[in-house]
Amino acid sequence: MIYLSNLLNQKVWDSFGHVVGHVDDILVSHTDQAMPPIDAILLKKSKGDLRLIKGELIATLWPTIALSVDQRELTNYEPHGHELHLKQRVLDQQIVDTEGKRLVRVNDVVIARKNQQFLVTGVDVGVRGLLRRLGLDTAAKFLAKTFNFKLTSQIIAWEDVASIEHDDPLRLKVSQERLVQMEPVDIAAILDDLDHHTSKALLQGFDDEILADTLEQSSFEVQQAVLAAMDPERAADVLEEMDPDEAADLLAELDDERSEQLLSLMEDEDEIEIRQLLAYPENSAGGIMTTEFAWVPGEFNVEQALNHLRTSEEAKEDEFMYYLYILDNEERLEGVVSLRDLVTAPLEKPLQDWADDDVVHVEPLTHQNETAYLVAKYDLMAIPVIDPETHKMLGIVTVDDALDTVLPTAWKKRIPRFAGK
Amino acid sequence: MKDTIKKNRPVWLSKFLFLLSILGPGLITASADNDAPGIATYSVAGATYGYKLIWVILVITIGEVVILEMAARMGAVTGKGTADLIRERFGVKISTLAMLLLIIANLATTIAQFAGVAAAGELFGISRYISVPIAAVVMTFIVLKAEYKYVERVLLVLCLASLSYVVAVFTVKPDWAAIGQALIRPQIELTGDFLVTMLAVIGTTITPWAIYYLQASVADRGVDMKEYKYTRLDVSFGSAWGNVISAFILIVTAATLYVNGVAVNDAKDAAMALQPLAGEASSILFSVGLLGASLLAVSVLPLATTYAFCEAYGFERGLNRKVKEAPVFYGMLIAIMAISSLVVLIPNAPLFQMMILSQTLNAMLLPVLLILVLKLANSREIMGKYTNSKLTNILAIGITLLIVVVTIALFFEPLLNKIF
Repeated sequence: MIYLSNLLNQKVWDSFGHVVGHVDDILVSHTDQAMPPIDAILLKKSKGDLRLIKGELIATLWPTIALSVDQRELTNYEPHGHELHLKQRVLDQQIVDTEGKRLVRVNDVVIARKNQQFLVTGVDVGVRGLLRRLGLDTAAKFLAKTFNFKLTSQIIAWEDVASIEHDDPLRLKVSQERLVQMEPVDIAAILDDLDHHTSKALLQGFDDEILADTLEQSSFEVQQAVLAAMDPERAADVLEEMDPDEAADLLAELDDERSEQLLSLMEDEDEIEIRQLLAYPENSAGGIMTTEFAWVPGEFNVEQALNHLRTSEEAKEDEFMYYLYILDNEERLEGVVSLRDLVTAPLEKPLQDWADDDVVHVEPLTHQNETAYLVAKYDLMAIPVIDPETHKMLGIVTVDDALDTVLPTAWKKRIPRFAGK
Repeated sequence: MKDTIKKNRPVWLSKFLFLLSILGPGLITASADNDAPGIATYSVAGATYGYKLIWVILVITIGEVVILEMAARMGAVTGKGTADLIRERFGVKISTLAMLLLIIANLATTIAQFAGVAAAGELFGISRYISVPIAAVVMTFIVLKAEYKYVERVLLVLCLASLSYVVAVFTVKPDWAAIGQALIRPQIELTGDFLVTMLAVIGTTITPWAIYYLQASVADRGVDMKEYKYTRLDVSFGSAWGNVISAFILIVTAATLYVNGVAVNDAKDAAMALQPLAGEASSILFSVGLLGASLLAVSVLPLATTYAFCEAYGFERGLNRKVKEAPVFYGMLIAIMAISSLVVLIPNAPLFQMMILSQTLNAMLLPVLLILVLKLANSREIMGKYTNSKLTNILAIGITLLIVVVTIALFFEPLLNKIF
């Protein structure tokens, strides 16, 4: 394995043993590949001027850097502007380890030889890389030997590295593609740790759906920064993709003018839903409920119900589906059946068999604590919210939203990061 | 419901509330000047040298505003912490040097805070072997577990005790003419003690941790350049305010203790400065102020040090991580608490001297950080069009040179005295 730190500032020899300059930086361009080849070396000449030479000319990198040609035959590398400068842009910078799902700092870059080509294979983020940079590698090896402990390198494969710089759109895209392989909650946690310029740039590149999922898990500071930086139409699109209750929470925190503008840009259906939610106090069942839930008319049997769930567009949008609610023509709750019971029941069984006048439920103004208490007491995954006057079913409060008071899911929001926050 | 309240607010009130929400990091940072070693340093400076050092406070007020403004501006422009920028710009070696200096300075200052706890306790005859371990354990628990904002408020209230110096100024009737004289005609004594005290006054006002802390909190708040003018106001106002209090501590001790030839060797002596104001209660007042200031700093300093370290080296960090996920973070945090409290428990450790010398050390280590900060704040690549103005550079370089010259003078003081 060859390390970038061992190459920097080293002499570069030509095939006849002349020194042509010192290594200032190393450039790669196909950063989307698992192992991008070295495209060019930035050479520092004795007078301080810089010259880019082609990576193909490298004969050896370690222990000495030698070229395969005479210095008069050196061909310049013509940059196309999307090269990644390893020293300037990767070494010492923060990157996301998409495999370990964490933010780390690059202590070194690992290069390997394969079929006459030199490839970047990964980055070293471990203590060993640090010691090498400090020139303490031999000392560390000696200590490890004397005291009999193992020095392990922590190397992240290049394909799991998402660099987080945001000034080159092409590379930004590579990073985004790697980031979205992670769970939204992990993305959000990492973005919260990043500086806000970078997290904004990264988030904006995501498509609406992933962006919405990530925002749901992010702190309010990140949500606000991202929304503020987007043009209103896009912001409205993203809000439509978010869970209505999460979107309503976010809008409630924005200033009136902005939230009004965004609401009016949203599709009517979503707008009405969110306006309804906004009308309820934050700590009431209405304030934390979601209006998206799976339901079927009472005259269906099991087969019809299953078919409905499979085919209807509306049911597809319901992200949370543990219960199927049975409603009458007036949208009043007649009964509820768990998905398990539904799947294990005979197909011809009528849903009316599950009818129940007394389903455990709350009203929109029921306090969040009371709601959480009922959910916990009856071991529910979700509890229906019913309008006390019209008896219509308005939505459900899911177990995670209900327990937010006791065990906040968005707990990061409430812990000061650097004491001052 | 929320909307109606918002709409009925008069404009001036909204503006005022907006201002308050932005004021903060600068004010907190600068108030922390008057932590336990700060109070000790100004008391000793006033009691030993009268008004002679008051010009230094004036000079470093300007220095503090300039330096903290740079840090805040870097935080706003880059959204990153000081340790991040140093690592990304200067690489592993320089950043290790900076980190080493920060850890030494902060460890010394944390030791000084525990010395403050010990001194406050001993005023009431409570042994340091009781007060310091309790403080260490309780504060470790608070930092790791408690609702930080609530604790911070309680401690800030305790710190209000240092306001008593402001009131005391008007009861002790200092010689304002002499103060004016001392401000206009700066004096330096070429003695080791004087130079040590002078460096301590500088070191307790402009601290490395304040630079790191301020930049990180500005970055964390996501202040952008449109709002930056308020942050600048916050920093300037906070620094000025912190130093006015420092000056008052110095004036009160000078007008009471120096005039009567009382030297300050421990907390009991220092507390006597408040006797004209509070009489018998002066010890209580002094020790409450000292305790509040120490504990406030203990709640922030080790955490800030640990964050900076983990940021620079990319270790996982944050109180929301589990111990297993972030062993370096928790290990270091607890080690700083343990080491610094244990040092104070060394039998007969001189508390006041420890507090002052820690600040002298702080000042001596500062120039390296100042040079790095100056380089960063002047880099076009990092700061874009928000690089330092000429005036900022002149003032910041001036302060750096002053510290370097005084430090050199201190080391060559015996030699210098032979020559002159």
